[in-house]
Amino acid sequence: MTDDTTTSRRDFVKGVATGAIGGALAGMGLYSYTGSAYDRLAKVTRQQQDFGAVRSVKVTAISETSWFNNAHLMEDIKKAGGLLVDQYTIGWGPFGNGKGVGKGSYEEGVANIKKMLPNDLEEAWAVQEKLSLHPDNPGGFSTLIEVEDLDGSKHKYLLDTGWSYKWMDQSFKREGIDQMLRSGEIEALILTHEHFDHYWGLPATMKYNNKLPMYIHNGFYKEGLQYIKDSGYKGEPVKVDKEMTVIRPGMMLVKFDVPIICRVFGETSLAFNVKDKGLVLVSGCNHQGILQMTSTAFQKLKYDNDRFYGIYGGLHISPFEDWDPKYDDLVISLGKWKFEKVGCNHCTGHLTAKKFVERGYPVVRGTARFRTSSPDYLGNGDTLTF
Amino acid sequence: MEADNRGVSYLESRKLVKRWDGPWPAVANFLMIFAIFYVTWWIFQDPRGIMRMYTPYVGYMICRWLLIMFIWLAYILDFWPFKRSWLNKTHPVVKGAILTAACVLVMELLIEGFFKGILGQYGIAYFSPSRLHAMGLTEFYAEEYATEAIMMFAAIASWLAPSWVVACENAPWQKLDQPARGITIIVVTFFIGTIVYFVTMHSHMAILFYPWQQYTAITPPYWEKFANTVSGNFHIAWIMCCTVTVWVYESIWQRYPFNLIKTDWLRRTTAFFGIIAVALCMCFFLFYVQDLAWGLNIRGTRRDMAPDWRWLHVGESAIFWLVGVLALSFYGGNWPNKFSRPVNVFLRTLLSMAIGAAVYFLYYRYAHLILGTQKGLSHPQQFPMIPMIWLINIFLVNMWFMDGWPGWKAVPKTSAELEEVEETIVAHDVTWTPGLAKGLAVGAVAGAVVYFGVISILPWLGHIQMIR
Repeated sequence: MTDDTTTSRRDFVKGVATGAIGGALAGMGLYSYTGSAYDRLAKVTRQQQDFGAVRSVKVTAISETSWFNNAHLMEDIKKAGGLLVDQYTIGWGPFGNGKGVGKGSYEEGVANIKKMLPNDLEEAWAVQEKLSLHPDNPGGFSTLIEVEDLDGSKHKYLLDTGWSYKWMDQSFKREGIDQMLRSGEIEALILTHEHFDHYWGLPATMKYNNKLPMYIHNGFYKEGLQYIKDSGYKGEPVKVDKEMTVIRPGMMLVKFDVPIICRVFGETSLAFNVKDKGLVLVSGCNHQGILQMTSTAFQKLKYDNDRFYGIYGGLHISPFEDWDPKYDDLVISLGKWKFEKVGCNHCTGHLTAKKFVERGYPVVRGTARFRTSSPDYLGNGDTLTF
Repeated sequence: MEADNRGVSYLESRKLVKRWDGPWPAVANFLMIFAIFYVTWWIFQDPRGIMRMYTPYVGYMICRWLLIMFIWLAYILDFWPFKRSWLNKTHPVVKGAILTAACVLVMELLIEGFFKGILGQYGIAYFSPSRLHAMGLTEFYAEEYATEAIMMFAAIASWLAPSWVVACENAPWQKLDQPARGITIIVVTFFIGTIVYFVTMHSHMAILFYPWQQYTAITPPYWEKFANTVSGNFHIAWIMCCTVTVWVYESIWQRYPFNLIKTDWLRRTTAFFGIIAVALCMCFFLFYVQDLAWGLNIRGTRRDMAPDWRWLHVGESAIFWLVGVLALSFYGGNWPNKFSRPVNVFLRTLLSMAIGAAVYFLYYRYAHLILGTQKGLSHPQQFPMIPMIWLINIFLVNMWFMDGWPGWKAVPKTSAELEEVEETIVAHDVTWTPGLAKGLAVGAVAGAVVYFGVISILPWLGHIQMIR
């Protein structure tokens, strides 16, 4: 082999090594973000599950005020270390242990009140008022859902159970939920996710019916699962592990596996097919994002008129009246789904409601009663029928 | 005073030699690095730890600005005001502690004094947490918004500052003594960085407030249609790719191929813009990869389907690669070295990508068990860039400030070895020949085939739940 041949071969290899990186980079740069590249993507195929229909759905906002002072809530979160801190360690009731912010613990907190649960809620909360941070701040989120079947029969469900024992017991009595629970009229408790403001008021429900069927996301942490027992529940919760669970004809529980602030994992939301009207989405917080919910429903559910009809619940956009440009993406994009009734409240945020109204979305206004601070959206005691 | 400005920087003047044969130096360093990482993570960042700065933006800002401080001190100021003699004779541990402390001090002065103090009090309100709080924002979000803006400055600086040294070779101030050279480059890159900030991030910040601050910023921003979002994460994507490309070019690519250009101004200009071009290729590819693997992005969604998150994840993915690049370069001796420069570069690129992919997989699989973060791919308040940059910072302290202690020690380079430094700046080992031209053509086709092969299999790979 001559030197020239060797040199030529070496040069060839050098060229191949350099050219390979260059060729790959050229493809990456010149093709990846072009219309042709996106033509390759498989078109979304809709696999619409027929889950029946209901005649109507009525929601009553038992309480949408999860807390009453945003600054106090955020002060506690800030001092505890931010939005990734485990909610059970922040020091809020009912898991306050008197050690201060960021030093709470489920075990120590619940040990102070366990023997009082679920029947002596006043005393339990009074104990916690001495041990927890900003004890007057907790409220809670809870919604009564009344489903009217096509044959006219009605069925009631409780969506979430709030936070403060005191506030939730008052709210339940105000809306007659205590009697509905006692009489067994409410057929199940659906816990959308493990957050303090949706879940920690569990004893307030257990006080009136500690055997009613309960649905939880299978991402609940061990503290959350233990709390079900410590609250006095005598049944076995259904741990939702499938993406779609039919609760009754026309009523679907949709599960999302999403990481959520304050160390919570997963949320479930509800979808209803309302006869001749279309799809109605009801959520606790919608941490997965309302457009993720609409997108999933669009792809996987069959509903009348192939139309999105209404929304109710928290949309988790600016719960702390905070903002981020990506929320504007949501505000801008929601319009394309053409909802006819937007019954947002709770963690949607007043600022979001304001932006929805500015874009002409049909936001249903409320009456601003029972400590709801503004009529911008549906408040405590307000109802909406789809 | 011993000559501090003798042309060759401290980092170029030293050779790091292993203290022991075999893999033990790397093993010892990695053990020490991971121990320091975990202890410092617990003290400063961990949401379960002591200071809990991972709020997330406070911790995010700190780790990014620390990175810039390290780059400024080691790369731009060539360790000024510390004397070369002190650097040569001081024990690496002492040196590491003092230099790191100096960087932390300057960082605090910059953040509290310049950004929050001067800029926030006399220029732009959103740099000041106290002003935002006084205007009605909660204390928490006032702090988060201000630190986000300050952090974004650092993101830009992490590309421009090293780029001026690596690509532009400090020109046109390369002949100035320190600190004149370093200060000039810091001021110039900071000035350019400010312009970049205003045309990339300022609109993002303006949208944070109601109503959109249309008299002070372009809203909606000009990139909305192109990037399918009004979020500045689009810019984070390509800027982080630029940051990563600078270090890829400097370390595992040994400034190849732009160092083949003999004309100084052309080489420097080509390298500066070439880095941007490579970064844009990477950026668009990494975005497209996600759409292929996980389905078309949906604007307005909140998590891994949202375009703003996917742009952010472009930058995050690039940083995982940077971890692989620096690990290979620092602790793997920039292996392999026995082939020609182009072949070495090619193999190192593949190897570092494999390391980066492994770190990516391990992070999303196990980080929530160790770092106090939340499981899942796209927590809205979680940024894998924070632990990755934290780790990279420790790499840099170890290799730049501590001379690779304990596994390595610094010895002066010989004249022949110093000539190799020159060869890196202007290379002569690849020349234009017919063989090279043929190879380039064949390689380019092969590279394109590999690219189209990868994008063809990605939709299937996306179904693998262990990644998602």
